[in-house]
Amino acid sequence: MSNYEIDVGMRHIREVNEEIQEAAKTHHRILVRNTLSRHNLGIGLPKGIDISFDGSVGYYCGGLNTGAIVAVEGDAGWGAGEGMDAGHITIGGYAGMSAGAAMRGGTIHVRGDAGPRIGVAMKGGNIVVEGKIGSQAGFMAHAGKIIALGGADTSCADALWQGEVWVAGEIESLGVDAVVKEPTAEQVAEVDAILEPLGLVDSTRNWRRIISGQRLWYFESRDANAWLMI
Amino acid sequence: MCGIAGRILGKVGDVGTDLVELMDAQAHRGSDSTGFAVYGIPRETGYVVRAMGFDRAALGKDLEDFQYILKEHGADFIENPRWDNSGAKHYSVRMVITDPRDVARWTHETDTISHRLEVQSLGRSLEIIKDDGDAREVAEKHGVRGMIGTHGLGHARLATESAVRPNASHPFWARPFPDVAIVHNGQITDYYNWRQRLERQGYRFLTQNDSELIAVWVSDQMKQGMTRQEALTHSISQIDGVFTYMIADLNGIGFAKDRFAIKPLATIQQDGAFCAATEEQALRRVYPQGAKIINYDGPAKTGIWGVGELAA
Repeated sequence: MSNYEIDVGMRHIREVNEEIQEAAKTHHRILVRNTLSRHNLGIGLPKGIDISFDGSVGYYCGGLNTGAIVAVEGDAGWGAGEGMDAGHITIGGYAGMSAGAAMRGGTIHVRGDAGPRIGVAMKGGNIVVEGKIGSQAGFMAHAGKIIALGGADTSCADALWQGEVWVAGEIESLGVDAVVKEPTAEQVAEVDAILEPLGLVDSTRNWRRIISGQRLWYFESRDANAWLMI
Repeated sequence: MCGIAGRILGKVGDVGTDLVELMDAQAHRGSDSTGFAVYGIPRETGYVVRAMGFDRAALGKDLEDFQYILKEHGADFIENPRWDNSGAKHYSVRMVITDPRDVARWTHETDTISHRLEVQSLGRSLEIIKDDGDAREVAEKHGVRGMIGTHGLGHARLATESAVRPNASHPFWARPFPDVAIVHNGQITDYYNWRQRLERQGYRFLTQNDSELIAVWVSDQMKQGMTRQEALTHSISQIDGVFTYMIADLNGIGFAKDRFAIKPLATIQQDGAFCAATEEQALRRVYPQGAKIINYDGPAKTGIWGVGELAA
């Protein structure tokens, strides 16, 4: 069970992904080099591997992850970890639009800032962003937590359904039907338990816990104007 | 879907090749047609005209009528026109002309033969080349690689709002404003209303493409007295739809993005040069390693980058 290195360059991505899947059968650690921000790297990764992307990646990196530990050294394009079920994805820099879209489980940890609509329609799992989350974070999320340590852009938690958005730092504005609730000590402990393995616990944070106001749950078309956000 | 690109070089260079690379890397975003707006070394007087004729068999007559109108407006060819020698029914022609007395009037009259020969760009520097096919095909057919200049735009089109025709491709010239061109990724939903208003003021649109509106709209706002920055900002509240567009003129490239922020723009800004594309991986064709990426992912954004003004 030794390290295995894969070079991306201008190769066809399907060929690269087939090589990753093949290597995962016999190797625990995989290093992917020369990524050139290419799309769809490492889709449907299996449990039991620890894979690093040396550089920045394009769209949907680590999508449909079923348990792998993934590290992106640089930035990630759209939809990192989209639809992931389990595992852990660390993005060293900036996470582009819609990271963790529709994810069902596992953790995404972004060391930099994140683009708009992070965790859009997520159904479970946790997203931790050390920097600022972009506009409409958690858009229509159904479950799971988005935790931002460096503030939030406009329309935060827009049309949130049942998930939670936690923000330390400034929130530029709240989205429609988003409500700020004072967290209980038990709830803060739950979030700290998520942050603890990442070494990010800080008891001095002034948390805002944002949940659904539940008015959109009973949407009436005659009220449509009240929901126009732009 | 569509893919767009912009490039500003620190000094005059092979901007054509960079634009072809940026668009080749984004060919999957739109395979219907590809186009380029290249800003060459500006002329002191006279204009470069790029036009498309729709029936190669009528090329001689088309150019004769074009020249007739030109002379009516006190201008003439400076060089012999050059056209592509492909077997396609439509042809692309490059002409260099002396200054017509009034460019807007001349454009208006030349447009009376636009159903046969359509002027697609006019400028001291601007040349728009567009055609069916992907970046490699269009570049090969029209010799885009090796076009020398300071800056330019590129576009790969996936048609959504109007027909796939070589002349409905991007970039669009802001008819009749010399040297102004746009590329757009998205859909404009109220373009028909805006077009009708602008048509009542005398502007002409030669395709049913929604993006043709943006070029003229921004230029008209500036003609009414707005700065480029004001016009870009104003477009975000005035034009309805999904858009990230880039508009170029002799001085550089500006961009604006709608309020919902669906269409991305990734950029590199360093060493006095600028490179922008829909996808970061396209930028990596020009800057394989190292260069810092600046994303404009948020809603309601604008930016302007000038030729020769970028901080080193």
